[in-house]
Amino acid sequence: MEASDVISELQCVDFGEEEIFTSCSNEVDTKFDLTIGHIEDIIMEDKFQTLQNNFLEKFYSEFDDTEENKFIYTDIHKDYINLIEKCLEEELSGRMPDFSMQEFTRQLAERKDDLEGEIFEMLLTFSDFVAFKDMFLDYKAAKEGKTIDLSDGLTVTSVDMPSGCDLFSLNGQSISKD
Amino acid sequence: MGLLTILKKMKQKEKEVRLLMLGLDNAGKTTILKKFNGEDINTISPTLGFNIKTLEHRGFKLNVWDVGGQRSLRSYWRNYFECTDGLIWVVDSADRMRLQDCKQELHSLLLEERLAGSTLLVFANKQDLPGSLSSEDIRKTLDLDNIKSHHWRILPCSAVTGENLLDGVDWIIDDIASRIFTMD
Repeated sequence: MEASDVISELQCVDFGEEEIFTSCSNEVDTKFDLTIGHIEDIIMEDKFQTLQNNFLEKFYSEFDDTEENKFIYTDIHKDYINLIEKCLEEELSGRMPDFSMQEFTRQLAERKDDLEGEIFEMLLTFSDFVAFKDMFLDYKAAKEGKTIDLSDGLTVTSVDMPSGCDLFSLNGQSISKD
Repeated sequence: MGLLTILKKMKQKEKEVRLLMLGLDNAGKTTILKKFNGEDINTISPTLGFNIKTLEHRGFKLNVWDVGGQRSLRSYWRNYFECTDGLIWVVDSADRMRLQDCKQELHSLLLEERLAGSTLLVFANKQDLPGSLSSEDIRKTLDLDNIKSHHWRILPCSAVTGENLLDGVDWIIDDIASRIFTMD
C-alpha cells in the first residue's frame, strides 16, 4: 500500500464518538512506543550487526571509490532494504505476538509530523543511497587497509615498496600496509 | 512497499527536490551537472552508470540523478523513476542525425506512470557549437507542443559556457514548488 493511501485512508476513518477514540488512543500510543523500543533494541543487537556485516562482506568487492556509480549498486541497495525490512518484521513479530506491519505503518503515517529522534534518522539512513554507498566504501577501506594478521600460522606476504626491494614477513611478524 | 520506503516518502523533507537528468549519450548531462556545481568539466568521460549530486540552491536541497544515456544503458533508466519531481531532458542540439531517436525516447518516457506529475525541462544544449539547431527547431522536431501530460519548457543552453543553466534549474524548481509545497 502506498503511504499516501494510508494517509488518505486515515482521513476517511470516522471514529464516531470521540470518547471511544480517546479511550483507546492511549493503548495505541503505548503499543506504538513499545514497537519503536523494540526496533531500537533490534538494530543494536549482535544478530542485526552480524546480518549487516555478512551483507557487507558479500558485496563490498563490487564497490569502488569512484564518483560514478555502477548500476549494480542500485540492485544491491534494493536487496539491502529488503533484507532489513524482512529482519525487522520477523523480529517484531517474534517479540510482539499481535504485531502487524500494516497497522504499524498506518500509525507511523498518523504521527508523521512528530517522528523525531535518532531511531528515525537511522531508519531513514538505510534507504539513503549515498549513505549506503559510503558505508560500503568505509567497510572496503577498513578491510583493505587492515593490518595483516599472521596469528594463524606461517604466511608469506609481500609488501609493495616504492624502492623496488622486496620485503617478506615470515611467521609472526606482522607488517601493516599503508 | 516496505517499512523503510514508506518512512522515506513520509519524511521527505520540505524543500527537497529530486531531479532526474536523462537524454541520449553525449548530450552533455554530466557536463551540465558538473558545470552547475562549479566543477572542472574538461575531463568528463562517457557515463556508464550514474552520478548523484546533492546541491543547495535558493534554500532548496536538490538531489540530481544523472544516468548514462548509451542505448544499452537506457533499460536501466526505469530504476531511477521513483519519487522524481522533475525530469531534465538534455538534447545535443548539434546532433541532427539522432533527433528522431531523441524524440522517441523522450515521448516514451512521458508515458511512464512513475514519471506522471513530474515537471519536464528540455535543455537544448551545445548552443556554443556552430551548426547547432535553435531551441525553436528542437521544440518542433521533438514535437514538444503535443505534450499535454506534463508541465514543460525548453531552453537553449550551453554546458560549456553555463548559459541558461541557472535559468532552467530556477524554472523547474519554481514549477515543482508551486505544485508540491503550496499544498500545506
